[in-house]
Amino acid sequence: MRTGLMGGIAVFGALAVVACGGSSTPAATSSSSGTPAPAATGNPTTAVSLTESGSTLLLPFLQELVTPLTTQYSNITLAPSGGGSGKGITDAIAGNSLMGGTDAYMSPAQFTANQTLANIPIAVSAQGVWFNLPGITSLKLDGDVLAKIYSGTITKWNDPAIAALNSGVTLPATTIIPLVRQGSAGDTFLFTSFLSATSSTWSNGPGFGTTVSWPKVSGEGSASSNPGMVAACKTGCIAYIGVSASAAAQTAGLGEAMLENKSGAFLTPTPTTVAAAVTAGAASIPSNLALSLIYQDGAQSYPIVNFEYLVVNTTQSSTDDALAIRTFLEWTIDPNGGSQSTYLAKDNFVGLQASVPASVLSAIQAKIASITG
Amino acid sequence: MISARAGKVDAGRARHRLSSSELTFGDRVLRAISGVASVVPTAILVVIAVVMFITALPSIIFSGLSFFTGSVFSFGNLYATTTVTHNGVAAPPHAVYGVLPLIVGTLSTSIIALVLAVPISVGGVLMLSEIIPRKISDSLGVFLELLAGIPSVVFGLWGVAVFGPFLAAHIFPPLSALGHVIPFFKGPVGQGQGLLTASLVLAVMIIPIVASTTRELVRRVPILAKEGALALGMTRYETVRVVTIPYIRTGIVAASLLGWARALGETIAVLLIIGDIYSVPSNAYGNTSTIAAWIASTLDGAFGDTTGAGIHALAELGLLLLAISLLTNFAGRLVVRKVSGGVLPVGRGV
Repeated sequence: MRTGLMGGIAVFGALAVVACGGSSTPAATSSSSGTPAPAATGNPTTAVSLTESGSTLLLPFLQELVTPLTTQYSNITLAPSGGGSGKGITDAIAGNSLMGGTDAYMSPAQFTANQTLANIPIAVSAQGVWFNLPGITSLKLDGDVLAKIYSGTITKWNDPAIAALNSGVTLPATTIIPLVRQGSAGDTFLFTSFLSATSSTWSNGPGFGTTVSWPKVSGEGSASSNPGMVAACKTGCIAYIGVSASAAAQTAGLGEAMLENKSGAFLTPTPTTVAAAVTAGAASIPSNLALSLIYQDGAQSYPIVNFEYLVVNTTQSSTDDALAIRTFLEWTIDPNGGSQSTYLAKDNFVGLQASVPASVLSAIQAKIASITG
Repeated sequence: MISARAGKVDAGRARHRLSSSELTFGDRVLRAISGVASVVPTAILVVIAVVMFITALPSIIFSGLSFFTGSVFSFGNLYATTTVTHNGVAAPPHAVYGVLPLIVGTLSTSIIALVLAVPISVGGVLMLSEIIPRKISDSLGVFLELLAGIPSVVFGLWGVAVFGPFLAAHIFPPLSALGHVIPFFKGPVGQGQGLLTASLVLAVMIIPIVASTTRELVRRVPILAKEGALALGMTRYETVRVVTIPYIRTGIVAASLLGWARALGETIAVLLIIGDIYSVPSNAYGNTSTIAAWIASTLDGAFGDTTGAGIHALAELGLLLLAISLLTNFAGRLVVRKVSGGVLPVGRGV
């Protein structure tokens, strides 16, 4: 009964905020001092099924949230499913799902075509570059060398360009087998964004996107998912793998390459280096929240970092749906709600509030608050 | 007079057509239902072809002939704030749709599969029905039908987890030694994905189709002709060669076409094992893709293109696959008609 009563108060708060355009009301959900005012949230009066489809990288994290969300808000049931980032966005546009998960933010053309759509960052992910070279545990690489490997310009592990970055490491004279993701993948978007940021040849050539016309490389391989990349990475291989599969890659005996960041430091993705990239990249955020965190300034910034987004329609057909979406999003980015380390750990994500500055957080919360029914 | 006229028009049908007043209610219902049903298959094909054509039209205008001759496929820069217009059709900057590698991949995998599957199927069936004792062959034949019922995703899974790695470890390395004679087999053998693996799995998939059709044909060979041959002192092998094979020759072409159509359109099994990389492989083990697999794997990316050019290009690919399937079907019918003088039922397995 207690949750029901609190839910009722919160609903009243939600209606009051909508009606009064954000002026302070006694019933508005409390916010601790110092942090920006969160959107009006609470348990809807009727049961709402929060349907979600899209990114398979985001899926394990969202699945972790299903039970704790319903425990907290009895009338909100999260129903996540996969299908890919592109499907997430189109489903949200078409209204097939209330929310669409995507690793890549929406394009300017998508924003223009869908004025009421918003992409809301809910967590931070990153991508590692892994290799399979028995006996070698540490390897340094930069974007230019990776671009040349994936262009077929560098074909041997003991190429002078790789050796120059790795003095003291005995590199084998074997062929490099680059692995790519099949079809369209958010991870391909992140990896090719990094290559485009560091190599002008790459950015003028294949460019970046979820589907890329890969240059032909002899012996190259492919896989259809992050775990698939781990499984396919046999001796001599190099692969880009989302941090959600880092543990699997380690178990499989792969080595994680240290990537050169903008300041010339060689780093692997850790909560510290990922958060540093967010802090550097998200010093300010555009009003549509579409922000690349690739190859950011800062000595400690890992170069392949991204926001995980949920795409939602800010104009919902029902007030309860809108309330449920706002509540879910606010709760998800809350370090005491969905962004607890136990839930984030499933995907090796980094919590949003732990890394973004207060101004960015308030921009995100303002966007959440703008979802109305 | 009526019956004579009807007989002239179509000897197979009922001679006397009843007038409406003579029909019972049940007759009329049946006539209405079967009338509608008879139009449905034609209508479905026409509607699909027309809808595909309309959806593909912007891409046909945008790419022109370069769609078939180009070997780069890219949805372009979807994050650009501008679009480019070519022949009056808008698309993202750097968007190129050249599908030659997919045409090569589709035709090569399906033809290799066919070349491997047909001799095995026909040889196996002749063995089953003519040489092996009836009791054993009947029970073996059941497996053929069971094999035909296995869902394609199971073949794909088996290809990825078992067959592909086995080929890469034990079959491809010795095969690559042949590279000195046939360059196609030379070079790195990869990890068990690619053109040859996909072709081999496709071959396994179409064997039951070709074989079960051939088995039906063999069963219809008149027993008298066979007995006559045996009575003349021919061996079993000679009987097969002189009586059975000539009898079923045209039917084998039809059976092969069924198998080919299945191989052309097979999507999920191929997608899982072909590597799905956009290139014409330099050797038998290289990763490549097919029309069907590429449509399935890039559809998600095409959704991100707000100009719609990506979806239009995939629709043109679908139309192309439809055209290839119909062409092989018609070509096959032509071959069968040339050889036999009659028309055999040739269907599609897609």
